[in-house]
Amino acid sequence: MRRFSQLAVAVLALLATGIIAAGSLWLGGYDPLVAGAAMFQGSFGSGTAILSVTMVRAVPLIVTGLAVALAFRAGVWNIGAEGQLYAGAIAAAWVGLSWGSAPGWFLTPAALVAALLAGAAWAAIPAFMKVRLGIGEVIPTILMNFVGIYLAAFVVHGPLQENRGVFPQTDPISDAARLSVLVEGTRLHAGFLIALLVGVILWAGLRWTHFGFQARSVGASPDAARVSGMIESKRVLLVVFLSSGAIAGLAGGIEITGVTFALYEGLSPGWGYTAIAVALLAGLHPGWVVFTGLLFGGLEAGAGAMQREAGVPAAWVSAVEALVILFVLAGDQIRRRFGA
Amino acid sequence: MTEVLARLDGITRHFGHVKALDSANLEIHSGEIHGILGENGAGKTTLLSILGGIIHPDVGFLEVGGSRVRLQSARAAWKMGIGLVHQHFTLVPGLSVLENLALGRRHTGHRWTLHLKEIRKEASQLGKLTGLTVPFEASIEELGVGDRQRIEILKALLRNPQLLVLDEPTAALAPAEIDQLFRLLRTLAEEGRAVVLVAHKLDEILSIADRVTVLRQGRTVMTAVRADVDTAILTDAMVGSSSSEGEAPITPARNALPALGQSSDGLAQNRESGNRSVARLKGIDVYSPQGGLALQDVGLEVMSGEVIGVAGVEGNGQRELALVLSGRQQVASGKLEIPEHVGFIPQDRNREGLAADFDLTENVALALHRDPQFRSGPLLRWKLIGLHAAEIRSRFKVKSSGVRALARELSGGNQQRLVVGRELSRLPELLIAENPTRGLDFTATAFVRGELKKLAHDTAAGVVLISTDLDEILEVADRVFVILRGKLTPVPSTHDSREAIGAMMLGSRLEVH
Amino acid sequence: MPEVIAVVAFLEASVRLGIPLALAAMGETITERSGVINIGLEGSLIAGALGGALGALAIGGAGGGILVGALGGALVAMIFAGFAVGLGTDQIITGTAVTLGGLGFTGAIYQARFGTTGTALTLPTLPSVPIPLLSDIPIIGSALFNQPPTTYFTYVLAPVLWYFVYRTEWGLELRAVGEEPDAAAAAGVRVKQTRFWATVFGGTLAGIAGAHLALAHAGTFTENMSAGRGFIAIAVVVLGRWNPLLVLLAALFFGSASALQFQAQTFGLAVPYQLFLAFPYLLTLLALAGWVGKSRAPASLALPWPKDS
Repeated sequence: MRRFSQLAVAVLALLATGIIAAGSLWLGGYDPLVAGAAMFQGSFGSGTAILSVTMVRAVPLIVTGLAVALAFRAGVWNIGAEGQLYAGAIAAAWVGLSWGSAPGWFLTPAALVAALLAGAAWAAIPAFMKVRLGIGEVIPTILMNFVGIYLAAFVVHGPLQENRGVFPQTDPISDAARLSVLVEGTRLHAGFLIALLVGVILWAGLRWTHFGFQARSVGASPDAARVSGMIESKRVLLVVFLSSGAIAGLAGGIEITGVTFALYEGLSPGWGYTAIAVALLAGLHPGWVVFTGLLFGGLEAGAGAMQREAGVPAAWVSAVEALVILFVLAGDQIRRRFGA
Repeated sequence: MTEVLARLDGITRHFGHVKALDSANLEIHSGEIHGILGENGAGKTTLLSILGGIIHPDVGFLEVGGSRVRLQSARAAWKMGIGLVHQHFTLVPGLSVLENLALGRRHTGHRWTLHLKEIRKEASQLGKLTGLTVPFEASIEELGVGDRQRIEILKALLRNPQLLVLDEPTAALAPAEIDQLFRLLRTLAEEGRAVVLVAHKLDEILSIADRVTVLRQGRTVMTAVRADVDTAILTDAMVGSSSSEGEAPITPARNALPALGQSSDGLAQNRESGNRSVARLKGIDVYSPQGGLALQDVGLEVMSGEVIGVAGVEGNGQRELALVLSGRQQVASGKLEIPEHVGFIPQDRNREGLAADFDLTENVALALHRDPQFRSGPLLRWKLIGLHAAEIRSRFKVKSSGVRALARELSGGNQQRLVVGRELSRLPELLIAENPTRGLDFTATAFVRGELKKLAHDTAAGVVLISTDLDEILEVADRVFVILRGKLTPVPSTHDSREAIGAMMLGSRLEVH
Repeated sequence: MPEVIAVVAFLEASVRLGIPLALAAMGETITERSGVINIGLEGSLIAGALGGALGALAIGGAGGGILVGALGGALVAMIFAGFAVGLGTDQIITGTAVTLGGLGFTGAIYQARFGTTGTALTLPTLPSVPIPLLSDIPIIGSALFNQPPTTYFTYVLAPVLWYFVYRTEWGLELRAVGEEPDAAAAAGVRVKQTRFWATVFGGTLAGIAGAHLALAHAGTFTENMSAGRGFIAIAVVVLGRWNPLLVLLAALFFGSASALQFQAQTFGLAVPYQLFLAFPYLLTLLALAGWVGKSRAPASLALPWPKDS
C-alpha cells in the first residue's frame, strides 16, 4: 500500500511536470507536440538513440543518483555530488594519463579506484565538519562543488593541459584505461554494468545488512537511533557520507574512462544536482534509481534533439527537472497529510 | 444569580478519523473556578483550544457574553477576553522575559517600536498585586519551570482576560507552588472573572473548583457543583462504569518471551539468589550543554529486585541522570558501574523511543539488532526479528494492524506499550524509565506501572523510575530519592510523606522532629 | 604612488563585489530569522539578474532593470515559499530545486530571447554617483562613496533592518516565529504568513542584488552569472550571526576576498586565475569551520511548521 502510493506520487509528479512543461513551451511560442516528438526521437526513438545516447547519458545520473539516495536515506544532505564527481574525474584522468603504459586489466580498475578515493576525500571535508564540528553539511557540500569545478578548470589549464597547450582539456587517456564497449557499434560501455552493480549492492546493503539498517535508522530518527544505545551515529554518518562521496566520484571516473577519455572544463552539465531529482523521484530506493536515471538520461538526450529540431533551449530541461523535484516533494507531503 | 460568561454548545471536532469531541457542552459562570476532568484523550485540550480560538469546531457554536462568536484565531479569542495558558510552555527561549511578555501583548499602539518600558511598568504593578514576580531581563533558558509557569500566567493576565483558561498548570509545579497558584486563581475569581482549570488529578480539582465538568471520549458526561460530588463519583464518570470489562488484566509477559542471548537462564537464577548490586554510581559529575554542572557528585546504588523512585521538579538533572544510568552519556568525573543489559524507556517516546516512519519490526530491531541471535555475519535475520516483534505485539497488547504498521499510526498508549515491551524483552538487569506514563490514559498508565513493579519484584532486575509525578513515585517505588539542581538526596523512610518530599523538591530543609 | 592606487582599486573592488553579497545576505537574514533557510536564494539572484537585463532593455534604463529584477527575485522566492512554507516540504531540497530551476529557466529564456550565439549583451549600466564631501575622503572616500545607488541603499538598509529586527513589534514576532513557532502562534502571530513574507522579502533583495550584478557590475547578462553567490550569501549570514549590521561587514569582508583576484597581479602574486576563483569558497568553508561553533542559529531554522504534517 505504501509502495503503491509512493509510485502514485511519482507518476502524478511526472504528469504535472509534463503539463506545466508543455504549457510553458506553448507560452514561449514553441509547438509542444513538435518539441515532444523531437525529444522522444532523440531519446527513445531508435535503437541508436537508446543504446548510444540515452543509456550512456543515464550512467552518470544513475551513479550520482545512487550516491544521493544513499546519503539522504541516512539523513546526510549531501548536495555535493557535483564536486565529488569532478574530484573523481580529475583523479581518473590523472591515473589514465600518468600510468598510460600499464596494462588494461590494471589501469581501468586503478583509474576507477582513484575516482572512488578522490570522491570520498572530497566528501571528507564536509563530513568532518559535520561529525566533528557539528556544522550542517548543506552549505559546505555546495561550496565544495564550486571548488571542485574550479580545480578541474585549473588542472586543464595548468598541470594536465594537453600537449599543444591550446584547449582547456587534457590529452586523451591511453586506450588501456578505457572501459570496453558493451554492444558493438554503439557507445554503450561497461560503465552501465558498474552502475547496475552499485545499485544492487546498495539495495541489498540497505535492506539486509546490519550496517544498512543502522544507516536507515539514523536517517529515520536520529534521536531514536542515538537513544537506542545500539548505534554509533557519528561513525554511521561518516561511513555513509564518505561512501556517498566515493560513489559520486566513481561517476566522474566512469565518465572519463567510458565516454570522454579526457578531462575538460564543464565536464558535467550539473549531474550532481540532477541526481537529487533522480533520487527523489525514485523514493530514495536504489532499485528505482536505475529507472529514474534512465528516464532523466532520456530527458537530457532528448534535450539536444529538441534544441536542434524545435529550437527549444536545452537549459529548459533543468527547469523541468526542478519541477519534478518540487512535485515529488509536494506529493509526498500531501500523501502524508492524508495518511496513506 | 451568577451570569453566564461563555457557553460552548454541541461542539464536535474530528482529527482525521478520530472524533476528539462529540457534541460537548460547557457553561462557564463569571466568578467561578470551573474544573474540567477527563482521562488523556478525553478531549480536554481540544475543548480548551476551541475556547482559545486555536482550533475551530466542525459542528456547534460558542457564545461569549450572550452572543454567538466565531473565533478565527488566538488573537480573536484574546479580543473577546479569553486568555488561554497552554499545557506546554509557549515561551520563546531565544527572547528575554520582557520580550516574551511583549509578544503576548500585541497591538497596543503603533507597531514600529517595542513598548518595553510600558510593559515592564505594567507587569511589575500586576506582579505586586498577584505575587507573580519574574526576572524581566533574564532569558527564558536560564529559568526553572516554576518561573516559566509564572511568566505564562502573567503574560495571560497582562491582557486582562475575563476568562482565564489553564491547561494542566500544575503538572510542572511542586506542591507549595501549586498552593500559591490556587490562591491566585481564587483571588481572580473573587474579582468576578472566571477560571477554567484542567487537571487530570482529581484531588487538585476537588480542592479548588466550584463546579466540575467531566469529559469522556469527547462527550461531556457530567457537570456538577463541587459539593455534590466526591472522588468515587468523578472517577466513575471519567472512566465510565463499563471500565472494568474494558481490558483484561495483563498477564506476566516475560516468561513467555523467547529468551535472548544464551546466558539469560543463568541470569534469571542468579537474580533470584538474593539482593545484589546491579548498578553503582559514585561522585558522578556531568556537564550540561550550557556549560554548568547538570549532575553534581551523584551517588546511587541500585539493588536487584527494587524500584528506585527519583522525584523532582522538571529540569533538575533528570535527563542527564537517565542518560548516565543507561550508559548513553559520558560523565565528566566519578565512578560508574552499570550492567551490560540496560533497558531505557525515554520520556519522549515519539522522538527518542521510536522512529515514527519505521514499522513495528524495524522499531524492535532498533534496540535488538546487535543481539547475536538476530545476526548472521553482516546480515540481519529479519524473519526472526519479525517473529519477535509479533510476540511483543501480542504479549503487550499493542493495538496495530500488524507488525508492518508504522509507529506513527499507533496511539500514544500503544506506542508506549511497544517501547515498554521492547525494552523488557531485552531482559534488562537494569531498567531506566523516564516519566513513562506521561500523556497516557488510565489503563495504559496502570499497565506500565504494573510492568515496572513486576520486572523488579518477579525477575529481580533493578528499576529506576524518574518521574515528576510524585504520586507515581509513591505508588511504585520502594526507595525514594529527590533530585534538585543536579544533586541526588535520599529520602529517609521516616519522612517519605507527600508533603516532606514536596518540600525537598523545592529545596526547603527538612525539619526533623 | 602606485601602491595607493592599488589599495584604492582594491577597496573599490571589495565594495563592488561585496554589495550584491550583502544585499542577498541581509535579505536571507530576515528570511532565516523567521525559521526558513532559503537555499533557492541563488535562483532569486539569477532571476534578478535576468529581470534586470530584460527590464533595463524594455523600460529603457537601469532603474527599471532594478525594479524588474526585484520582482523576478520575489517571484522565485514565492515559488520556494509556496512549497516550503505553504506545503511544508523539506526546505533544503526545495531550495536546491528552486536554484536548479532558476538557473535552467533563466538560461532558457535568455537563449530563447537572445540566441545562443554568444554575442555579449550590452545593457545600460547603473552609474556611480559620488557623494559630495564623503567621496573626497582620501583612500576610502571614493571606494565607499563613489558607487552606484544600490550600494547606498545597502548602507542604509543595514541599520534599518537592525532596528526592524530588534526594536519593533514586527521584528519581535519575526524572531519569535524563527525561535519557537508554536509559541508565536499561541500568542496570535500568523506563522505561515510571517515566514512567507520574510522569504519573499529575502528573495526581493536577492533579486536587487542580481540586477546590481548585471547592471552595475557586468553591464551584461550571462547564463549562471550568479556563480554561487547565493550560497556564499547564506554562509555570510552565519558569519554575521543573523545580525544585519554584522552581515554587512561579513559581506564586505568576502567582497575583499573576491577582489584579490583582480589585484593579484598588482600585488605580484603568481597564483593561477582558477584557483583565485575558488578562493572565496574555500575562505567561506574555513570561516564556517572556525566561527560557527560560537554563534546560535534561530532555533527552528529549517524546521517545517506545523511540525507533523
